[in-house]
Amino acid sequence: MKLDNTLLRWPKAVVLSNHFILVLTVLFFLVMWGIYPHMAGRRNLANLLSNTWPLLALVLGQMFVLIVGGIDLSQTSIMAVTSVLGAMVMATSLEPTRFAHNPLWGVLISEQGGWLSGSPWAVPVAVLSFVVAGASIGLLNGLAVAKLRMPPFMVTLVTMSFFSGLAIYLTQSENVRPLPDSFIAIGKGTLGPISPPMLIVVVLALLAFVVLDRSILGRWFYAVGQNAETAKISGVPTKRVIVLAYAFSGLCAAVGAILYSARLEAGRPTLGRNLLLDVIGAAVIGGISLFGGKGKVLWAVYGVLFFVVLDNSLNKMPLDFYSIDIIKGAVILLAALLDALRTRLSLYHAPLAGAP
Amino acid sequence: MTRSALEFDRVSKSFFGVAALSDVTLSIPEGCLLGLIGENGAGKSTLMNALAGVITPDQGTMRLFGVPFHPTCPADATRAGIAFIHQELNLFSNLSVVDNLYIDGFPRLCRLPIIDKRKAYRQAAELLTAVDLCLSPATPIELLTPGERQLVEIAKALGRNARIIIFDEPTTSLTAAERSKLFQVIDNLRREGRTIIYISHSLDDVLRLADTIAVLRDGKLVSTGPGDQYSANRMVADMVGREIAQMYPARASAPGPESVLDVKSLTQPGMIKDISFTLHEGEVLGVFGLMGSGRSELARIVYGLDPFKSGSIRVRGTDAGAPSPIRSIRNGVAFVTENRRQEGLLMEAPVSENIDLSSLRRYARYGSARIIDRRAALKAARQMAESLQIKSGSIDRHRAKHLSGGNQQKVVIAKWLLTDPGILILDEPTRGIDVGAKYELYSIINDLASRGTAILYISSELEELTGMCDRILVMSNGEIQAQFRHSEFDQESVLQAAFRGRTTANQTEANGEN
Amino acid sequence: MRKARTGFLTVALALTLLIGGCNRQDEEPGQITICFAFQDLETEYWVAAHKAITETLRARNIKVLERNAHQDANRQFEQIRDAIAQDVDGIIMIPQDGESALTIIGEANQAGIPIGVFNRPPADKSKPALVVVADNEKIAEEAVAYMAKAASELNRKMTPLILVGDLGDQNSIERRDGFYRAVNAHPELFKKPIEVPTKWDAATTLANLEAALQVTPEVDFIFTSSDFLYPQIKAVLEPLGRWKPKGDPDHVVLGGVDGDSTAYRLMKEGYVDATGVQDLFFEANAIMDALVEAIKSGQRTPEKWIQDPGFALTQENMPQRAMDMWGCRILHEEQSNEAR
Repeated sequence: MKLDNTLLRWPKAVVLSNHFILVLTVLFFLVMWGIYPHMAGRRNLANLLSNTWPLLALVLGQMFVLIVGGIDLSQTSIMAVTSVLGAMVMATSLEPTRFAHNPLWGVLISEQGGWLSGSPWAVPVAVLSFVVAGASIGLLNGLAVAKLRMPPFMVTLVTMSFFSGLAIYLTQSENVRPLPDSFIAIGKGTLGPISPPMLIVVVLALLAFVVLDRSILGRWFYAVGQNAETAKISGVPTKRVIVLAYAFSGLCAAVGAILYSARLEAGRPTLGRNLLLDVIGAAVIGGISLFGGKGKVLWAVYGVLFFVVLDNSLNKMPLDFYSIDIIKGAVILLAALLDALRTRLSLYHAPLAGAP
Repeated sequence: MTRSALEFDRVSKSFFGVAALSDVTLSIPEGCLLGLIGENGAGKSTLMNALAGVITPDQGTMRLFGVPFHPTCPADATRAGIAFIHQELNLFSNLSVVDNLYIDGFPRLCRLPIIDKRKAYRQAAELLTAVDLCLSPATPIELLTPGERQLVEIAKALGRNARIIIFDEPTTSLTAAERSKLFQVIDNLRREGRTIIYISHSLDDVLRLADTIAVLRDGKLVSTGPGDQYSANRMVADMVGREIAQMYPARASAPGPESVLDVKSLTQPGMIKDISFTLHEGEVLGVFGLMGSGRSELARIVYGLDPFKSGSIRVRGTDAGAPSPIRSIRNGVAFVTENRRQEGLLMEAPVSENIDLSSLRRYARYGSARIIDRRAALKAARQMAESLQIKSGSIDRHRAKHLSGGNQQKVVIAKWLLTDPGILILDEPTRGIDVGAKYELYSIINDLASRGTAILYISSELEELTGMCDRILVMSNGEIQAQFRHSEFDQESVLQAAFRGRTTANQTEANGEN
Repeated sequence: MRKARTGFLTVALALTLLIGGCNRQDEEPGQITICFAFQDLETEYWVAAHKAITETLRARNIKVLERNAHQDANRQFEQIRDAIAQDVDGIIMIPQDGESALTIIGEANQAGIPIGVFNRPPADKSKPALVVVADNEKIAEEAVAYMAKAASELNRKMTPLILVGDLGDQNSIERRDGFYRAVNAHPELFKKPIEVPTKWDAATTLANLEAALQVTPEVDFIFTSSDFLYPQIKAVLEPLGRWKPKGDPDHVVLGGVDGDSTAYRLMKEGYVDATGVQDLFFEANAIMDALVEAIKSGQRTPEKWIQDPGFALTQENMPQRAMDMWGCRILHEEQSNEAR
């Protein structure tokens, strides 16, 4: 027992620390750097960063919903529908051959492009409509969960299906482009380390941090997730808190949609179709509990970094594509395993930490 | 001379250098009922966990009917004929009685992997008769009362032919009738020659049942002997390690004249009927009632957790309308619920965050941004924790779930005291708390009353109410049946009032269902 | 504690394996590296193309980095940017759609890395790239023209039906245009065509086709925009007693575009009358040759639009031209592999 304690002290300290996933990610990065020197190249680091921001925006929103003990499956469809709506506001021209049979042809869009095509207000109004549409759909989710007491899984599954269908219907499966250059510039990250996506998402993360860690509202989020009954009796406006969490998740999805749409230079009805697992996966790997009441902005950042570095390094490997998915799965499993191990270890320590 | 069913020989166990059990030597004769008592953390659970194979003792041996016994997992204990009937019952509430009885091994049809349903039902019916429970084995558990569930657990133990049965706080959620039925069953078990270990904080129950009593304190066996050599006072003294002169601290104050809570004709069909009372400044008003009498429902309605149909609630002379928790807190009403784990605490959160949860609004800065002044909040929580003598490590890191029951209850009370309540509603505040902590709680309540806080004290422990209250309201069938002033307190008439209208009530309910 | 130690050991072992796995291929000096990024391998055509491209490149001692985007345009975007950061010499891409292709070409242009687009062309020609694309309209028209010829021998007015692909895909629009051009050339032979959307999805096709045939059971002329949907057509026609080879009075005149092995088999058995063949091997070789040449001559943003003329394989020309059809060749290769 004693030998164990001294031998395992260092790994234990790391494993038990809150920064475990970061340590894991950095180690993984260093190993990969050893194998692929390009990993730490300027261009690759820029890629890493620019892939981090939009995903982080989504995970931040998801985290709020997870903290109040829910789940938001509709984030990706919110991305798709806001992407399409925003693009329809600002597109600079549209081909009639592809859009003439569109239900909004002649109403919102025309050969001259979107609703505000060419106007100096096009981009600001489009961005605003992204955000407002996203937050409204989130609000809808929240109201259904809090007021109608429907299970979050069902509510957001339904909105997921409805809004991704709506996005495809509104565009008849066409991508909406071209978009104004000033909008596309939002998605580009080539101005050195500081890029518009970074600024936007860092502001979002700081806001999330202040709310969660410093404000009364934040304490309420955790309280509702840990024990809704206790929270209610203790005077927490539980319904309002739940609605806010979903609305924020929708807003974050819209921010993600802005960044991805700008980077892909189009409003896409299929935007983020396969992203949901990455979002929830990053949140969980970061340590945010699916059972509610647990989560931190920093953990979200770590989870996202882990996923981004993993994807990036997999993109370096000269493996055929059949084995790449297997390796990705294996690494995620490994991380989850380590995390489970960590929980076990911290349980070992609970009596010590917990003795009155 | 009966042989020993179970012997502990110098059993010790420590966790990370802290001794949880040291040198416990104890022998239980076959067919004997041992009452095992001690404060929370005295080592009762550790001892039982060793017996159950959940933990392995560092030192010492156990012998079962003379044979060395070293269980390494709970299944070992089950196989050896030891059954545990826990405080939190281990039944699947969505399954039927028979499914629960045979969850780990149905009788099979000719050794095939097919359940012999007929046999299972027949055997189940026999077991239920043995515990005096007239139920169809097909009844789902969720339809049973806590007492009936307890009996099903016992039937399960009988079904496995358990020779040693351990009861851990079996009576906490039982009505008086259920309790006496349980005791009958326990007596029968003993008569059949089964060995029983009975763990409880309810000293009266232990005195009533036990052949032998063993007292643990700080992991050590402090005293043991035949039950008739013990009195409640001696048990308390042994458990606490000092003499407690009296169970209830003396009240130094009297209620003031001003009424702070006026409840008039409060009615919610199916729960309470035409309830009226007045609570005065500095008064401790007891509400006594059996389970299902509407006492907890009344508290929930007054606090605003459940709606009411007619009547009124006035707080300090102004109509509270239809209260909600948020409004009640604003009006200075606080509510310590009956169920602290599920309704009172955030078990995963630090102690400090439990304490300041209801009064966060006081520590808001920057206007509508409502950023918490964390230093001020922590300071207030710390002061409150100190004044209530909450035993915890650093309160901003220590989680509520790691505290003992008494300290957890103090955390809940601390949370409410921080809101500066004029009215404090307490629902079964001492349930599952050990003697020492109870005394501290009583002192806190007296102290609050002397400072003018009006207290509505709901309890099913009549003795506690007579010791603490200025007045007692007795509820039954959702109505107030009688009211007693302190000078008129009389156990028998209170109980009579509590049973009043019970039988007729059951009949009308039954009629209503038809 | 023991469990913890076993856990650490497992992790260490797994990491070693992972690192071992990564290190499998060492760089040779002067070796060309090409990133081959594809959207997904939904049909036999894409699988065959993937095989042809990776095998040919490796045979030429070119290192291939394969990237599957799982039908996610953003993922493809990130994959190709990562490849650019890794200093690959060239990129071959099967894009998710024409719009994202354009964005990605822009990234490659900016980095000065030559990029080739295989079979699914970018939305417009505003950014320089090597593009190889089948002349879908012409191939479809040729196949349908032969089908019309076969139909005219039946001396009755035909009810034609077309299984339309995904309208987000330029290729399916062109194939539809080709179909209409051939059909409109014989107004005396055809009634108004019925359009059945498929979204390039087997289940959707099955459901929609079944519904269409319930409404108009007299359909006797079916053109599918891709050969991979024949099993669905068979599944609908067979219970109606309409899955009959050529010469049978109940035969439905059948044709498609792609030229996969199923189509070849069905033609041999007489169920299918004609199929428009994209010359997969020509396309694969053309894009690789163009890209390698650009890399070797140091061109950074080469631009070339290569058209695969394709051809229609019909019951008539089958004996001479079957071996030019990739589906047929794959089938023969498989058979000779099995024989060995």
